Amino acid sequence: MDDLYQQQIIDRYKNPKNFGKIDGGIEVEEVNALCGDKIKISLKINKGVIVDAKFIGCGCAISTAATDILMDLIKGKKIDEVINMSGSLIEKEMGIELTSVRKRCAYIGLEAIKKIKDSLKK
Amino acid sequence: MKDNFPIFKNNPNFIYLDSAATALKPNCVIESESEYYSKISANIHRGFYQTSQKASDLYDQSRQIVANFINADISEIVFTSGTTASINLVAQSWGESNINSGDEILITQMEHHSNLIPWQQLALKKNAILKYIRVNQDFELDISSISKLITTKTKIVALTHVSNVLGTINPIKKITQIIKKINPSTLVLVDGAQSVAHLLVDVVDLGVDFFAFSGHKLYGPTGIGVLFVKKNIFKNMTPTFFGGGPVSEVFWDKTILLNPPFCYEVGTPPITQAIALSDGIKFIQSIGWLKISNHESKLIDYALTQLSSIPQIKIFGPTKNRSGVISFVFKDPKLPQPHDLGDILSTQFNVAVRTGFHCAMPLHHLFGLDTGSNRISFGIYNTTKDIDTLIKGIKKSIKIFN
Repeated sequence: MDDLYQQQIIDRYKNPKNFGKIDGGIEVEEVNALCGDKIKISLKINKGVIVDAKFIGCGCAISTAATDILMDLIKGKKIDEVINMSGSLIEKEMGIELTSVRKRCAYIGLEAIKKIKDSLKK
Repeated sequence: MKDNFPIFKNNPNFIYLDSAATALKPNCVIESESEYYSKISANIHRGFYQTSQKASDLYDQSRQIVANFINADISEIVFTSGTTASINLVAQSWGESNINSGDEILITQMEHHSNLIPWQQLALKKNAILKYIRVNQDFELDISSISKLITTKTKIVALTHVSNVLGTINPIKKITQIIKKINPSTLVLVDGAQSVAHLLVDVVDLGVDFFAFSGHKLYGPTGIGVLFVKKNIFKNMTPTFFGGGPVSEVFWDKTILLNPPFCYEVGTPPITQAIALSDGIKFIQSIGWLKISNHESKLIDYALTQLSSIPQIKIFGPTKNRSGVISFVFKDPKLPQPHDLGDILSTQFNVAVRTGFHCAMPLHHLFGLDTGSNRISFGIYNTTKDIDTLIKGIKKSIKIFN
């Protein structure tokens, strides 16, 4: 557990690569009331494929870094595939194993994207 | 003192700074619960065998011990499952029949959700008006505003004795006097969850009508709580739960309930928890308030000095007249957020602190703390050495994030 706050996580937390908002993108939001993490993701989807993904929001280092990593992971993937994606992929990419409490921080971005079905229906 | 708490035998270097969430359990409480199950294990009332009579006697004795502890009469003590259940009991059993459209309920900005949501929901349901006593920049209640907030329509004022976030000790006696002077029929409910284990409570001296607290913050078990109801208030209340236990006669078309407080304890009560709670109270009494107060003052002064010596930290709470609950954040949002600090302290230093909103979300937003705060809180087992380790952990976390 000592390596939870490894350099990659700290760097992504301080300077997330995918921080921002896409004009005209589809927006989804998720809150983790437990710790106050709150993020808003905007996606640009073309023919069912995610061509760009960004996020804004505030939260702990784990939620911010994990969401930033998630944005990298989903670019170029089909939205249907991402909706069914397992959170363990994020953990794998982070290179750490998370406790159940921290999984809620790390999976916040994925939980937001899962809401996109409702946004697309509208 | 740590010798009295077996958790430290099982986890020798454990540093527990979260007693405001729940206190650790001393041997006498753990043994009391275990003894009930291994030697008595019977349900109370109407069992004519010996162990049932013994269980009934111990349960009744516990009520007397609780009553003495807060200077109440035994007939004014209702056992509940905790502070939250106690406050909800008042909101339902008293609120349902006494709050009407246009009536006013006054609470404060520093309430735990348990003393906020029941009143908010009651007000919404009854079309009543919910008003708040403000918290000022010194993290204290704006006492001078109370006389303007109380009107002829104010039916109840519900407020905490000690803030579970700021550590502020509210001057309940003074506040109750102000309220009753303007409107003698306004009732006062006090949430004592954070006070009963740390300072002497005398419900007569405070002049309150309801006083609620939990057993588990008092070194007792979870699942037991207390509601003090001033004797003459019961006549304006009706039970909302019915069933086995507190009835004298049941007919096909009507039921004659037992008198209060018993008619509010429906079903099999938390018997062993009530008995073990009285052992938690005896434990506190054996230490004595003077020793508890001196011990806590020393820890508070030491922690405030040590935390203030870290320039990156901002403390949210008063410097004087406060309890051993201290919340703080890092000024720089790029330093560890509460969850990150809690994680580092736990995994690298075996220190338990609470992080997040501590069930007081609107209060955090009032001070612009959108990702919550870090909170430490003391019990009788804490030492200044515990605080030294905390400080070491905080400094390490700053280093990791720098």
